[in-house]
Amino acid sequence: MTAAEEQELVEFLERDQLVTDTARPVPRMALSRRTSVALWALRVFVVVVSAMVIYTFISQIVH
Amino acid sequence: MVEDTPGDGVVALPRPALTPEDAARSQDRFRVHDARRRGRRWTLLWLLVGPGILAMLGENDGPSMISYATTGATYGLGFFLPFILLTFAMSVVCQEMCMRVGAVTHRGYGQLVLERFGPLWGWFSAGDLIFTNLVTLIAEFVAIRIGLSFFHIGAGVAAVLGVALVVFTLSGGRYWRWERIVLGMAVFNGLFLVAAVMSHPRLGSVGHAFITASPFPGGSFNTLLLLVASTIGATVTPWMIFFQQSASADKGLTPGDLRHGRYDTVAGAVLAALFGCGALIAGAALFAHGGAGFDPSHPLAGASLPGALKLVSGNAVGTVFALGLIEAGAVAILTISASTGYAVGECIGVAHSFNNTTRKAAVFYAANIGAAVVAAAIILIPGAPLLSIALNANVLATVLLPVALVFLIMLANDRELMGQWANGAATNRIAVAIVVFISVCGAAYGVDSFLRAVHLVS
Repeated sequence: MTAAEEQELVEFLERDQLVTDTARPVPRMALSRRTSVALWALRVFVVVVSAMVIYTFISQIVH
Repeated sequence: MVEDTPGDGVVALPRPALTPEDAARSQDRFRVHDARRRGRRWTLLWLLVGPGILAMLGENDGPSMISYATTGATYGLGFFLPFILLTFAMSVVCQEMCMRVGAVTHRGYGQLVLERFGPLWGWFSAGDLIFTNLVTLIAEFVAIRIGLSFFHIGAGVAAVLGVALVVFTLSGGRYWRWERIVLGMAVFNGLFLVAAVMSHPRLGSVGHAFITASPFPGGSFNTLLLLVASTIGATVTPWMIFFQQSASADKGLTPGDLRHGRYDTVAGAVLAALFGCGALIAGAALFAHGGAGFDPSHPLAGASLPGALKLVSGNAVGTVFALGLIEAGAVAILTISASTGYAVGECIGVAHSFNNTTRKAAVFYAANIGAAVVAAAIILIPGAPLLSIALNANVLATVLLPVALVFLIMLANDRELMGQWANGAATNRIAVAIVVFISVCGAAYGVDSFLRAVHLVS
């Protein structure tokens, strides 16, 4: 691809759409203590319910 | 990510060199710019639809269609017809957020969760996705196997067909090519609507069910909870979140395309709801005929659906339904494998685009094919509880969904990333209500089933 062709193509992309830009990590968000606790509570909740569903599934197969 | 674009008094920085991925995406964007400049509205719509329709029709997959038809066969027409519409309305709210975040940030869901909330939450999300995707992929191969068995074709063909499809669609190194092939296949999801029409439902009963949401299902409370949870899992799932956001970014959508992205999402939901209701109405023929050839109370009932429909509604309906199951499984294998590839590539931090060659994005393509190969291998294991897996796949997706949705809502509200395109108050209220509703339904089924399994309730 020539430099002119490349220049023409690049015009159709937004700057933050280029691979070099999207590969740059976005800054990490500072989670408040309350948000962290809520996220962990939700995490524990889905793990417990998932374990119940999987246990039920296995017991149905066994019986 | 939102950035200032060069304007008055702002000096444009020199553009970095284009990668082959950029060049491929740029060619697609050129066509979008050209259609917009010439005022070709239909061409513009054609160019910009894809991720939304694929996410919605991809989720009208084998286990979902089996679940809808089983619901129809168990309860007939009634509460579940409008309930399907409600779940797709919920799906539109969630998927619109995915599309918006992908178009504004140009990043996938896995990448954003990992970078914005840290590697722990990123890998939790990817782990949930890979687990549910594997279970769901097995269910898709089971659906293809059920469909093929109607034509007396064995499990080996189902396994080879599914993996061959993934490999075929991945060749070419272009997102556009992959998307159009899968869209072409997804059109045949309409076979479920054809099956419904051919089963000659009473239009008065269908209309009554939609308007009154009655009769409300009776019988076993646990079966009702299972079908509610699996119907939700048939419309809103973790893989759809990963897929639509990543595909929107891979396609090259920008904030200027949000309106068309919304058309795409709503069109997908309307089609998927129509075809999903078609599967339920086709299945309801079994209920109307007293369940001839079909026992809805049996946990593995889905296996005999095409055969039972053949007995009750004729060979043509059974054939169309079986072909529909093959299509539903095949399209879902492609979209779910893609979401696995995106998640793995984004979390590891390597190239993750269909616009790359297999050499450049080896991990992305390997995860795509690897997920399908593992699922295909499992359905070949003699005595594996395949149909139980198929029927529980949607429930598991429902149970794991709330965490994925909460992170999505947080990303869509992140003004540092989203700027003026962040969620409004109304969207947030609806989104939170959806999370609460899905959590309650998933937990109700999980707890009730567990208590029955350990004989604490009967």
